[in-house]
Amino acid sequence: MDTISNMLYGFQVVLTFQNILFVFIGVLAGTLIGMLPGLGPISAIAIMIPLSYGMDPASALILMAGVYYGAVFGGSTSSILLNAPGISGTVATSFDGYPLAKQGMAGKALAIAAISSFAGGTVSVVALMLVAPLMASFAVSFGPTEYFALMLLGLTAIASLSEGSTVKALISATIGLIIATIGVDQQTGTQRFTFGSPNLLEGIDFLIIALGLFALAEVCSLILSRKSKMMGGNTNVGSLKITKKEAKDISGPIARHSVLGFILGVLPGAGATIASFMSYITEKKISKDPSSFGKGNIKGLAAPETSNNAATSGAFVPLLTLGIPGSGTTAVLLGALLVVGVQPGPLMLTDHPDVFWGVIASMYLGNIFLLVLNLPLIPFIARILYIPKALLISLVIIFCMIGVYGVSFSTFDLYLLLAFGIIGFIMRLINFPAAPLILAFILGGMMEQSFRQALTISNGSYMTFFDSTVTVVLLVLSVLSLTLPFIKSKLSKKKEEEEKEHLAS
Amino acid sequence: MLASVERKVALFLFVFSFAYLVFTFNLPPFPYAIVDADALPKGLGFLLAALSILLFIQNPVHDRKKSNMKKDEVLMLLAVAGLIFVYILLFELLGFVVVTILFLLVTSRLLGYTKWKSLIAVAVGFTLVLYFSFNYLLQIYLPQGILPF
Amino acid sequence: MKKRKSMFMSLLLGSALVMSACGSSESSSSSSADGGEWSPTKPIEMIAPAGAGGGWDTTARTISKVMEKENVIDKRMAVANKPGGGGAVGWSYVDKKGGDHTLFVTSPPILFVPLNGQSDLGHNDFTPIAGVIADYSAFTVPANSPYDSMNDLVEALKEDPTSVSVVGDSSPGSMDHMAFVKAVKAAGVDIKQLKYVSAQDGSGMSMLLGNKVDVYSTGLAEATEQARAGKVKVLAVTSPEPLEGETVSEFPTLKEQGIDDEFIVWRGIMGPKDMSAEARAFYEQAVKDMMETDEWKAQRDNFGWNDNFMSGEEFQAFLDQEKETMESLLKEVGLAK
Repeated sequence: MDTISNMLYGFQVVLTFQNILFVFIGVLAGTLIGMLPGLGPISAIAIMIPLSYGMDPASALILMAGVYYGAVFGGSTSSILLNAPGISGTVATSFDGYPLAKQGMAGKALAIAAISSFAGGTVSVVALMLVAPLMASFAVSFGPTEYFALMLLGLTAIASLSEGSTVKALISATIGLIIATIGVDQQTGTQRFTFGSPNLLEGIDFLIIALGLFALAEVCSLILSRKSKMMGGNTNVGSLKITKKEAKDISGPIARHSVLGFILGVLPGAGATIASFMSYITEKKISKDPSSFGKGNIKGLAAPETSNNAATSGAFVPLLTLGIPGSGTTAVLLGALLVVGVQPGPLMLTDHPDVFWGVIASMYLGNIFLLVLNLPLIPFIARILYIPKALLISLVIIFCMIGVYGVSFSTFDLYLLLAFGIIGFIMRLINFPAAPLILAFILGGMMEQSFRQALTISNGSYMTFFDSTVTVVLLVLSVLSLTLPFIKSKLSKKKEEEEKEHLAS
Repeated sequence: MLASVERKVALFLFVFSFAYLVFTFNLPPFPYAIVDADALPKGLGFLLAALSILLFIQNPVHDRKKSNMKKDEVLMLLAVAGLIFVYILLFELLGFVVVTILFLLVTSRLLGYTKWKSLIAVAVGFTLVLYFSFNYLLQIYLPQGILPF
Repeated sequence: MKKRKSMFMSLLLGSALVMSACGSSESSSSSSADGGEWSPTKPIEMIAPAGAGGGWDTTARTISKVMEKENVIDKRMAVANKPGGGGAVGWSYVDKKGGDHTLFVTSPPILFVPLNGQSDLGHNDFTPIAGVIADYSAFTVPANSPYDSMNDLVEALKEDPTSVSVVGDSSPGSMDHMAFVKAVKAAGVDIKQLKYVSAQDGSGMSMLLGNKVDVYSTGLAEATEQARAGKVKVLAVTSPEPLEGETVSEFPTLKEQGIDDEFIVWRGIMGPKDMSAEARAFYEQAVKDMMETDEWKAQRDNFGWNDNFMSGEEFQAFLDQEKETMESLLKEVGLAK
């Protein structure tokens, strides 16, 4: 009952004219920034920080949180329409979202993304409200061994991301891991494969690889097919219509990945990007028809879109209950709290209940705003696909350039972007899947560091990986995820043989 | 008669993994690390070499799929890549506004967009709106270059 | 094309709303800095050699905002991020740019990064303008830790240096690591065997609260709230004098525990090597004026920073001495390149 009175209090904070306006401005700005390829919410929030001085703390955080989840919400748009991920959390969205758009169903894809985002966002806010304090101890229960096992579990799914040749998928993944080793090694300070360039010391940014391999490589394909004038063709790309069957189909993934996304979001080491990948591969693994993934399966769109939004609310658990940032963006939000005079930490809930419950309540409102803002916009935004290809191609290139420059401010990274675009296109030509590369890149770096952190702490004893139940469970799952497909196929073969024998006898 | 594309790729990857391994063996050791910085890269180098051999074996000589790219299409791709390269080269020198307008005009025209009037309108309008929203509203500074604003 | 444009118009509108809601900080009108003959003739570029949102970025944006709002300098002071290489990319940018209208925010990494062999440019390749603020390191342990004081920890380390794992958010050989190394060396521990875990994704506190590591070497601000909530114990702060303030006054300094050491996490402003003496004097005075304003004082208190003004000359001498200390320490732990 306590929760209800707390929530009522939260809504009391939010439902003032000023705060409703802040929610609205926050999600609007976030959604628009999210739509621009590459550019994420971090820059926007960082810029607001010095300006927010003197604001009411609850209002300031309501505004900036709105920018954050608004960007995750809007980030799917350019992933779906242009294959250019709006933010890193929506890379997986393009796997099935873009094929849908290419098939003339952009409106439907955007609508599914919006509905999944809304559902993921809302379910996880409910979870945030009900269990945030309980989840706090879960958030810190993950240490190096647990993260290592979690990342390993993700990596074992790579074979399932392959279309056709498993060897090619494994090669892609290995190259992804190799790219992740570029930069200063975090545990020893050794420079690895930097060739003396200061630009490579911090490694290569995830978004450069994603924009290159997906957006620019797609630009190349568009150039080759530019003679068919528009991507939209003659179909009504803006149509939002979702059939009853489709609604039923996506309800399962939405329910599953609201929970999974939220849990992964709570973990400071995981976050929206990893959550969206994990959800995508989980959905593919449990699907009866995995081969349709990557070709415009609406479940493959709903899963990561639900998950990344759920993870975004999840990331507020360690932030609001412990004062621990779970991601780059929440770290910047922490800085914002300082400016408005709130010391982020475990006492925030007691010292500033208005901030805590106000932000949670504002997220209900924000998610409704986002849905109401985005759905009517879809028919208009989808019309981007009616732009003649010759023009659209050059505009997409510029978008990718600004997206990268706006984060790193260096032309070096622009050259890298071009290089990854070329690599991505060549990979398409010779049928190497890009998804395993990007997945291995994002999981690999953290897996290596966690592994070595764990061994440093244990003085080199590998027994440390068997000390925690969570780690053991995750490791067992990894082994199962690797071996089950083989066992399954063997079993089914045996069955077939048995049946044949049965029939024969 | 010729090796399949896969075999060529496999050979390239094998050479690459070898070069990568040479680098990993030249990484300076760190005296107090339990697992040093070169452990994973070494493993990855050998893994890639093994996988490339596997790829070579799995894909025997015949070509399964003919590349259907025409020569002028390849040239077009190279031209656009070249334009992007020049764009980056001049990006900080001339500034965002000038190079972006030029890039949009040249690339769109090259790709076959012929309506000059709307092209110029879009190129100039798009670039300026983007520039001013970034530099003055988002305070993310795109290079100003030779222009005074 | 209409649709595309309308999308950007709405971006424009959205951002305009945000800006007006937060109060625009454009400034104009007269100058109040009385720096003498030289004054800036065009907008000043303030470089944060890191991405948006970090410590350098926050400091740069705060200084620039106070400067503009209080009219300390009558030119626009725009913050530009040049992230990469732990600062090296930004420093190389400033070095190439040169002149009298480029400044950057800096802190101990300008000593550590070159010493770790990751940058050719060090503090001697720039013109120190002024030291601005100071922060201190805090060594924290979980609330249920067997260590109750720095001396307990030092005893354990002396017995077996590999029995204690230390986590920090920076790379080995940089701030969080060396602050701890320096302190326990002063207490007589064999620093070669120390186990340092680097958690550069910022998961240090979470590892500590989850009891995955024994000690977390971090900034004072991160430790204070957790200590106030009783989640961690602060074994020592590296300030020379006991700190004043509600919770921080309870933190013992190293010196109070018989360890003769201190470690200042300073932040200051530098310019390119070829900056004219007049410009340097102007900016030094401007920083001094800025630090007198109420706006600055309020912001500083929110962030928990301590004023630590140093003139350009004092700043230079301080840096030279710091560098020497760090170099010998890094050599001893095998990290100097």
